[in-house]
Amino acid sequence: MSSAIKSALEQLDTKELHEIARLKGISIPKNWAKPLIVELLALNVSTGDIQAIGAKPLKTRVKSGDDSAIIIRDLVKQFEDVTAVDSLNLEIKQGELFSLLGPNGAGKTTTINILSGVLKPTKGTALIAGFDVTKNPEEIKRIIGVCPQEAAVFKFLNARENIELFGNIHAIPKKELEERTDTFLKLLGLAEASKRMTKGYSGGMLRKLNLIMTLISNPKIAFLDEPTVGMDPRARRKTWEFIGSLKEQSKTIILTTHYIEEAEALSDRVGIIDYGKLIELGTPNELMEKYETSNLEQVFLKITGRRILEGI
Amino acid sequence: MELKKLIRQPANLFLNLLFPAILTIAFIFAFTDPELGMSLNSVIPGLIVYAVIFTIMTIAQSFTTERQEGLLKRLNTTPMTAAEFMGSQIITHMLISFLQVIIVFTLAFTLGFKPDSGIQGILLALPITALFSLSSVGLGLITATVSKTPEAATGISFVFILPQMFFGTFVPITSTTQQIAAFIPSYYLLDALTTIFEGNWMNTDIFLDLGVISIVSISVVIIGILLFEKYGNV
Repeated sequence: MSSAIKSALEQLDTKELHEIARLKGISIPKNWAKPLIVELLALNVSTGDIQAIGAKPLKTRVKSGDDSAIIIRDLVKQFEDVTAVDSLNLEIKQGELFSLLGPNGAGKTTTINILSGVLKPTKGTALIAGFDVTKNPEEIKRIIGVCPQEAAVFKFLNARENIELFGNIHAIPKKELEERTDTFLKLLGLAEASKRMTKGYSGGMLRKLNLIMTLISNPKIAFLDEPTVGMDPRARRKTWEFIGSLKEQSKTIILTTHYIEEAEALSDRVGIIDYGKLIELGTPNELMEKYETSNLEQVFLKITGRRILEGI
Repeated sequence: MELKKLIRQPANLFLNLLFPAILTIAFIFAFTDPELGMSLNSVIPGLIVYAVIFTIMTIAQSFTTERQEGLLKRLNTTPMTAAEFMGSQIITHMLISFLQVIIVFTLAFTLGFKPDSGIQGILLALPITALFSLSSVGLGLITATVSKTPEAATGISFVFILPQMFFGTFVPITSTTQQIAAFIPSYYLLDALTTIFEGNWMNTDIFLDLGVISIVSISVVIIGILLFEKYGNV
């Protein structure tokens, strides 16, 4: 059973559910409660069946097929008189490495905070692997990993203890956790320093640890908020290779970065966001062709610079 | 892991474990002179209460530091529930209070403390003190809720520490201050411990003290958790 279909069905009212059942020729007793109807239909219908009933709000609820890891519809986040996220619509496929680019204060981190269940949206919906961010945050937290912009690590624990703490929260079996910890520490060059308290770590080392703590739970979907800030060029390249290798494991990765070459090297698709609105979307090559430039940085400057000049 | 985090911080180690030890030694030598008319039985309860109320500060500092460093937000993106997080914090800080009491008792016994209640009194004192430590956790959480930084938390925590220190630790209570002390939670722990160590551990007053400590501590910790969850965990 697809959790995306179940979640979409949960958002319909009982009348709409009965309509789908009627179209599919499924008989449902009148006294059945909604959760029971949802369970039955989830086993027997497809996304197309749900769309077929033509319910007006359905277009904003589900548009995609089952391969969407993230579906964002009309998402708005308002902080008093500031609109940090403004009617954002976006769909990210499973296994995709998607970069969200934008100037400072564009709404990237706020979007990640909403998608990871830290903030509640003012309006709109977002589904993560079929789970609604406002209704099912607990389910979402089990399958995601969030690498925050600031390296959030416990200074009076060593690297290994920090990693194990997050592994234990995700209930990873002890042996598996040890093996994964060793592998990650070696891959990112932290093995030797792993038993030192992190308060003595350099900025780059803290960033690497920040990333490992995010990925130790083997999340299906990882949000990496500027993961390479403060790393020297060599460490950054090494981390790029590491992030690139995650694609091979079919993980969905949402990356925000100010290093445009990072996005160009790693991303399947790029979204450019400004003043909370998605203003451009496509593969790096599509965008470079569209704006007739040789690299993504020029695309970014053309788009965001033009908006400044036009006073948008 | 929570305990490791706390113990490894030099300031916390000093405030939570070494400070009560130093105070115990200092107070035993300073205040148990027969000319002052004070006995170890009257000084030790005050020292125990003092050690426990001081944890308000370390709890508030610990929460504000973790919030400032983005750790609470990060934990908020994991499957750890608020109840699990708060539970681990409460257990850790109760354990620290327990360690403090053990340190005070060990030093006091070494320096000649012989409670009239015998070992039963000590065994009764430990759970009552542990129960009271919940109020320190609650007041620490309330302090963390209203404090933006660990530095502010240090200052604000004294709003809760000082009244308890003057009206419910080793500072002698007079007939005038008695009326104020009736509103101070630590006074009831002090009263209970003093009564126990004097050998009156079946005295019905202890049950009154225990009742007040239970109601106040559980209420304060619930208020602290609710306030911190709603306004402090961002």
